[in-house]
Amino acid sequence: MRVLRAEEVGKVLLKGGPARVDADVSAKFEVGDEVVTRNINPTGHTRLPRYARGRHGVIDRHHGVFIFPDAHAAGKGKCPQNLYSVKFSARELWGAQGSGTDSIYIDLWDDYLEPL
Amino acid sequence: MSDHHHTARLPDTVLRVKALESLLVEKGLVDPAALDALIETYEEKVGPRNGARVVARAWVDPEYKQRLLEKASAAIAEFGFTGRQGEDMVVLENTPRVHNMVVCTLCSCYPWPVLGLPPVWYKSAPYRSRAVIDPRGVLGEFGVTLGEDVEIRVWDSTAEVRYLVLPLRPEGSEGMGEEALADLVTRNSMIGTGLALSPDDPAGADKP
Amino acid sequence: MNGGHDLGGMHGLGRIDVEENEPVFHDAWERRCFAITLACGFLGEWNLDMSRYARERMHPATYLDTSYYEHWLIGLQTLLVEKGLLDEAEIEQRMQALAAEADA
Repeated sequence: MRVLRAEEVGKVLLKGGPARVDADVSAKFEVGDEVVTRNINPTGHTRLPRYARGRHGVIDRHHGVFIFPDAHAAGKGKCPQNLYSVKFSARELWGAQGSGTDSIYIDLWDDYLEPL
Repeated sequence: MSDHHHTARLPDTVLRVKALESLLVEKGLVDPAALDALIETYEEKVGPRNGARVVARAWVDPEYKQRLLEKASAAIAEFGFTGRQGEDMVVLENTPRVHNMVVCTLCSCYPWPVLGLPPVWYKSAPYRSRAVIDPRGVLGEFGVTLGEDVEIRVWDSTAEVRYLVLPLRPEGSEGMGEEALADLVTRNSMIGTGLALSPDDPAGADKP
Repeated sequence: MNGGHDLGGMHGLGRIDVEENEPVFHDAWERRCFAITLACGFLGEWNLDMSRYARERMHPATYLDTSYYEHWLIGLQTLLVEKGLLDEAEIEQRMQALAAEADA
């Protein structure tokens, strides 16, 4: 165990703890692909919110390869995989009464997504 | 102030924090001077003025703005605003047709190096629940009304990418220097729950 | 997990309560809670994802009825105890001792 010392605080905070991983992991998707989020309900940690499960979206951005939280929180290591910003229309998430103009963008990993 | 524990909802919170800290220090697991340094960093050194300077630079320097939109982390790092909870930045540009708003529905993820620690409302249930389902209503509570043809984009920070909104440059700010422009950039405008101040706004000095 | 933290789209949680010019920390205990959480994270006994999961596991009613830094406090104690760095008995004992000191 490593104890944080006062004189290193500045340097440690400025360096941070990047979640991006320099690993060559092939991406399942590209920008523009239509996807559907999985309907998963793990009792462990996940970053796929309930309001966005089983929903159709479009890959808007490809962020790169990052630590996968579901595995990382369970002590399974970083399990790096590709992360995307996925665009969902308000109506897709909230139904016909949702806004016809607005969109919600959610950062999601390969393991949360299926091709449409 | 010290007896007014209005933020503690459980009766033993204050005692529990003291107990944990004293045990951790006794066991040599935390260094008290390091605790003070951590507090000082976020209470005094890092705050929304950082982000305001980035925005002001983008407003006056088109090449910087381009770098900011293409590779935000590197562009923000030009100011030295790096590190914890800001390692991977994306800047979202507001336009007359598009308004961006950032939330973390699952916890409180927020770009610390450019905005400091988040305000209580950002971390609380009302904003986190409503931002994704009723962004227009949320903006209304913040006193912002957008045209019906303006597209609202809500970004849920579910991963370690951190988002900073580049607000629209206010009318009447042409010819202003960077420092003065930074004064117009409120914290809320960089989260997306507000707009940058007008140079004529008399309340400008007090806005968060 | 489908915990109390997964709030997107929930109704009934009230108006957004904005405090103008709010301080970074509202109380001394928040400051200390913030600092010990970060410092303990640095020990390397857990990662950020584990620390989020530790907070998510509290009863949803507790989650909604406690303040932000109380979420941190509950999560931190959960992790410290699970990793064997502290045990609940010594925490309770220390709390009692501190309370007695304050009353003396």
